Amino acid sequence: MSDIYPGFEPKILAFTCNWCSYAAADLAGTARIQYPANLRIIRVMCSVMVHPNLVIEAFECGADGVLLMGCHPGECYYQDGNQKAKARSVAIEEVLSLMGIELERFRLVWCSSAEAEGFACLVRETDEALRVIGPSKYRKDASKYSKSELIQCL
Amino acid sequence: MRQTVAESASASAREITIEPVTRIEGHARIGIRLDERGDVAEARVHIMSMRGFEKFIEGRAAEEVPGIVTRICGICPWQHHLASNKAVDGCFGSEVPPAGRLLRELTQVLAHISDKVLHFFFLAGPDFFVDSQQCAAGNIMTIAAQAPELAKRVIEMRYRGQMMLEKFAGRSIHPDAIVPGGFSKPMSRLEREQLHADALDQLEFARFALDFAKERVFSRFDAGLMQLGDIRTGFLGMVNPEDGSLELSEGILRLMRLDGSFHEFSGREYTDFIAEHVEPWSYAKFPYARGWDEGFSMQLDDPRGIYRTNCLARINVADFIRTPLAQAELLEFRSLFGRPAQSTMLYHWARLIELLYACEKVIELLEDPAITDQQVRSDVVPKAGRGVGCVEAPRGTLIHDYSTDEDGFITRANLIVGTTHNLAPINMSVNRVARDLIKNGEVTREALNRIEMAVRAYDP
Amino acid sequence: MSLTLCSEALSGCSGCEMSLLNAGGSSLSLLGRFDIVHMPILMDHKYFDSGGGSQEIHIPKARLGLISGGVRNAQQLRIAEKMRRQCDTIVAFGTCAAYGGIPAMMNLFEDEDLFRRYYRSAEGTDAALDPSQVIPPFLERTFALDEKIAVDFILPGCPPHPDFIASALESILEGKSPQLPLVSVCDSCPTKREGKGSAQRIRRFVKNARYQPDKPISEMRCLLDQGFLCMGPVTLAGCAGMNGGPPRCIEARVPCRGCHGPVRRGGNQIMDILNALVSNGIDTKNLADRLSLLRFSGAHGRLNRRCVQKAD
Repeated sequence: MSDIYPGFEPKILAFTCNWCSYAAADLAGTARIQYPANLRIIRVMCSVMVHPNLVIEAFECGADGVLLMGCHPGECYYQDGNQKAKARSVAIEEVLSLMGIELERFRLVWCSSAEAEGFACLVRETDEALRVIGPSKYRKDASKYSKSELIQCL
Repeated sequence: MRQTVAESASASAREITIEPVTRIEGHARIGIRLDERGDVAEARVHIMSMRGFEKFIEGRAAEEVPGIVTRICGICPWQHHLASNKAVDGCFGSEVPPAGRLLRELTQVLAHISDKVLHFFFLAGPDFFVDSQQCAAGNIMTIAAQAPELAKRVIEMRYRGQMMLEKFAGRSIHPDAIVPGGFSKPMSRLEREQLHADALDQLEFARFALDFAKERVFSRFDAGLMQLGDIRTGFLGMVNPEDGSLELSEGILRLMRLDGSFHEFSGREYTDFIAEHVEPWSYAKFPYARGWDEGFSMQLDDPRGIYRTNCLARINVADFIRTPLAQAELLEFRSLFGRPAQSTMLYHWARLIELLYACEKVIELLEDPAITDQQVRSDVVPKAGRGVGCVEAPRGTLIHDYSTDEDGFITRANLIVGTTHNLAPINMSVNRVARDLIKNGEVTREALNRIEMAVRAYDP
Repeated sequence: MSLTLCSEALSGCSGCEMSLLNAGGSSLSLLGRFDIVHMPILMDHKYFDSGGGSQEIHIPKARLGLISGGVRNAQQLRIAEKMRRQCDTIVAFGTCAAYGGIPAMMNLFEDEDLFRRYYRSAEGTDAALDPSQVIPPFLERTFALDEKIAVDFILPGCPPHPDFIASALESILEGKSPQLPLVSVCDSCPTKREGKGSAQRIRRFVKNARYQPDKPISEMRCLLDQGFLCMGPVTLAGCAGMNGGPPRCIEARVPCRGCHGPVRRGGNQIMDILNALVSNGIDTKNLADRLSLLRFSGAHGRLNRRCVQKAD
């Protein structure tokens, strides 16, 4: 576990589609597959329901990372919701870059309901990556965290 | 603890604060410090706010800036709009077709009209029209009560002046019809006819306003008023480069000294002649005439580098006015007061002469057949450059100076807003009035109102 | 029956007050129905008893308080707080008060950069230290009014159309709540729309829109369709007034820039417009100057110093 920013626990918000990633998360739970506890899940019926404003608002509220999870292409329960979500993610990324938020903090990923291990792995990877990037500048307590002296010397 | 006037005069220095300075545009505070005798030791006009336009237009696409800088002022947005467009044209090297030029000048001069009506009748007027017992309680509503016919006419004409702009250009307040390369839409024949009819009404009102003012206001300018805030300064204004006549839109700048001699320069050369001084007690800076090589001082007994702008300055520096009615008025004015006229209260008279000129000029422009040409804008290609746009705003000479990068984004901007040229003179006038009217610690309401009247003459 | 009215202008430009003067049309009968107790641009009530004494800002009690302009410095904050205590109803008058407005563009920059530029490096300025005597210090950024005091109603617009000002004041005189429209500018725009997906990319407004000058505006193709960025879809309606006219900038054949703020309070104009563009298949990568799409709604933390200028 990287400790580049000592004491920093990333806050990760995941918008999970009911038909794929939410089901996968549920499956991970029943199978007792471990994944970081600092994940907060919001269930939506389709990834397209997540208006870009909600992603931006999450960052403005201080989320360190946001995951938007939808079904694999061709498998959307509502035909093409996931494609629209993909188009919108372009706009989301543009606004994030204007806001000075690292693009790595936002990920649009595809998942299926059977991929319990895949879900957990994704969350672990995101958590690890965020520990390296560090706390979001928009976190209210951002000033509390600084790079560990050991890392700064390297 | 009750203090008598005599006691407070003998006590240590006392502060008098007038805030807000009312019936002006902007936020100002007048601070007067009395010495132990109760005489004025110091008087200052503090500009209490600043928004930072020069800084925050950096990084913006230059063609967007003319729609942003209108918000510097909601009373004279057309002036900022035009000056900004001219600066962007300078950066991009754009040429403006003749009809575009005419429409730009028309809208900018038209905007002068309702601004002057507003100032004379709504802002400064209450000091003159309202029963003098109530001088500190006067406002347009009081005028409406005491002189309803006058008020009705004034309000209607101001409104119609605004609507002339709105009908043609979409918006009167915070316009966007002037664009880099020209104007956003041509004028139709029907629009021209309607505006022409409206302009004739405005001209008639302007003639009425001047006659009314001469009879009811200026004829009552006693020695006290003529010397109110009396200072001797130079003057800055725009003139036509060919014949030295009064010019509000496309001209060169003439900076006149006390002795009547002057320098002329284009907008681009402004930094050779004008510099700005910073005081620790005002957010706004103080322009002064660096070209005179005498430095800057607001001392009443030794002023240096001090010049004024705005209507009195413009009619002083201009050799004559091209339009006949205004020229006749100017000749009468000069026969009474000479050239240059220095008395601060004469700003009001000069303002109404300019109102007349503006009305005549609008009619002249509308009667130019080229104004309804359909070619109003040249295409514009964003590129790196520098441009200085200069116009005469009601409040004074306005300068927008921009530089752009190769993508046509603003890298740097410097603005000298019309009113700021008058900040040093306003301070001096306030000092003059305060010293004349406040002695031995006696401060009357009338004296305080007179101090504000000196400020209002400048229409800051 | 007249209602007491108190009006203040903070970090704004007086444009809202000018629009208020236009709200009566050719008369001031609307304004005349109020008993104006404080309004610096028109009448002489002062903050202080000028002879010295208290430095506590005095604002009289009033039923209605109109405040235009955002909150930029410590004195404006005191005035806003005092207005809140003294007025029964507070209206955030104009886009600056409601959303920050143009002055909130300063939130992109540090004040030190402003002072350095303005007092030390501006062309022709005799370099000097930052002024600091008597004048009120800046707050950490420009705020919308509701970030500092409780606001009863907002009346956005830059400036609000006189019809809406009149309508809001009439409602308040009758003891009712003013109603804002719930739709975007497009709702009152008569231009021809030919369906989604017709524009492919956005161009800068360096060339006029295509239209027949002798034809009415309803014959002109929607500016967004023509490939110009128009903020109409993500901006509150109202600039056209209440008499069925077209949006005023469109009337001048110029695209909307969003001066009435978002369609709903809390809306993010830049996110909304980019979303609308990508949803219609428009490539937004070459959109110049995206940050200025928030030029009217930069308060509430939207524009801040973490923002990156001029994304490529």
